[in-house]
Amino acid sequence: MMRRGFQAAATLSRLRALPGAPRILPILNPAAAFGSSIDSRISRFCPKKTDFKDYALPNASWCPDMLSLYQEFLEKTKTDGWIKLPSFASNREHIQGLKLPTGLAVTPDNSDCRIITRSLQVEGQGYEHAIFFNPSEKKSVCLFQPGPYLEGAPGFAHGGSLATMTDETFSKTAYLAGEGLFTLSLSIRFKNLIPVGSLAVLNVSVDKIEDQKLYMSCITQTRDQKTVYAKSSGVFLQLQLEQE
Amino acid sequence: MRLLFDQFMKKCEDGSWIHLPSYEDIATQRSQDFSTFIHAYFPTASEQINKEKLSQGRIFTRSFEDGLGFEYVMFYNDAEKRIVCVFQGGPHLQGMPGFFHGGAIATMIDATVGMNAIVSGGIVMTANLNINFKRPIPLCSIVLINSQLDKIEGRKLLVSCNVQSVDEKILYTEATSLFIKLNPEKEFHIKELVLNSAPPA
Repeated sequence: MMRRGFQAAATLSRLRALPGAPRILPILNPAAAFGSSIDSRISRFCPKKTDFKDYALPNASWCPDMLSLYQEFLEKTKTDGWIKLPSFASNREHIQGLKLPTGLAVTPDNSDCRIITRSLQVEGQGYEHAIFFNPSEKKSVCLFQPGPYLEGAPGFAHGGSLATMTDETFSKTAYLAGEGLFTLSLSIRFKNLIPVGSLAVLNVSVDKIEDQKLYMSCITQTRDQKTVYAKSSGVFLQLQLEQE
Repeated sequence: MRLLFDQFMKKCEDGSWIHLPSYEDIATQRSQDFSTFIHAYFPTASEQINKEKLSQGRIFTRSFEDGLGFEYVMFYNDAEKRIVCVFQGGPHLQGMPGFFHGGAIATMIDATVGMNAIVSGGIVMTANLNINFKRPIPLCSIVLINSQLDKIEGRKLLVSCNVQSVDEKILYTEATSLFIKLNPEKEFHIKELVLNSAPPA
C-alpha cells in the first residue's frame, strides 16, 4: 500500500487518511507501530495458530447449497488469492495486541461480551456464516444461512438480521481493506424475504476510499443469482488501532 | 431502566400512550393467517420453507436469554403517531469491543419503525432502511428510540427515527425508512393461482 511520505508517518497523533491506491504494492516496510499494510492486518486478523475457536466452519446445520459453495471457495483460497476469514466469539480476539484509539476505548469490565453474529452458539439457530476475502480485488463474499432464532415474519429472516450480517461483512472488509473501524452510515433496500434455513450470498466490494472514509456496496442474492434479496451500501470511518 | 418503564406506564394511564406487548413468537392463530398470506405473496420463497423449522422459530429480538441480548419495551402514542422504545442492550450484542454492533442498532431501529408502520398500515414489509450513525453507543447502556410516522402515500409509509441517550443530550443515530403495505386483495388472487397451478408434491 502506498504511503504518503514519511512526514505523515512522523506525526503520530494525527489520524492519517489512506490515499485510494487501486492496487497493492509490495510491502516496503514491515508493519510499523503506527499504521499497517493490508498484509499485516490480514496476518494479525487470521492467526495461523490460535486457541480461539473458529466458528466459520461447516457443521451439521448447514444446508447442502452452503456446503458446496463453501467448498468452492475453499478451492479458490488455494488458487485465486481468496482468504477464508476465521470468526471468533468477539472482535477482541481478532485484534490481539491492539486496542481502539484512546478517547474511544472503553475499559473492558464484562468478559462475557460476544459479537452479535456469534452470540447464538447452538448450531444452526442463529447466524451460520463464513466470509471469504480477496485482498487484491478488495471484495468479500459472505455465505449466510439464517437460523430459526433470527425470524421476523414467520418462516423468514428478520430484516434486522440481514442488516446485522451486512454490517458485519462490511466491517470485516473495511478493516482489512483500509482500516475502517466504525460504521458511519448503512443503507439497505430490501427486495425479497429470505426463508429461514436457506443460503443467501452477500457480495461486498469496496467502491472508493476518500477523506478517511471507505465506501462499500453489497448485493445479497441466492446462489444462482435469480432472486435478489437486498442491495445495500455502507460508509465506514478509517481509524488506526493502537498498540496496547 | 425500570424507572423509565414506570414513567411511561404512568403516561399510559391517561390513555394517550399504549404499552405494546411483545411475544417470543407470534401467537399461533395469527401466525397461520400471516403465513398463508406471506406464502401467497412470495410463492417461490415459500417452497423452500421447512415446516419443522417454522415451529421452532423465535422472533429475532426475543431469542436471547434474559439480559444478554435485546431488552426493550415499546410505548405507542396514537394521536402523535409515534413510538418510544426504551432499549437496553446486553453484552451479546457487541461489535467493536465495548460498543454495540451497528447491526444490533439497525435491528432495534427496524423493530421500532416497523411497529410504527404496522399499527398504522397493517401488514407491511421493510423496503428501505437508511441509518446514519453519529456516535458509537457503549455496550449495556440504555437508550431511547423515538420513531415518528412522517407520511403515508398510498401504499408507502415513511417513518423516521432517532436514537438518543436517556437524558436526550446525546444523539447517537438517525434513521429514515420506507415501508410498503402488502395488499390483501392481491393476496387472494395469487393464492388461487398458486394452488391451481402448483404441481402435486
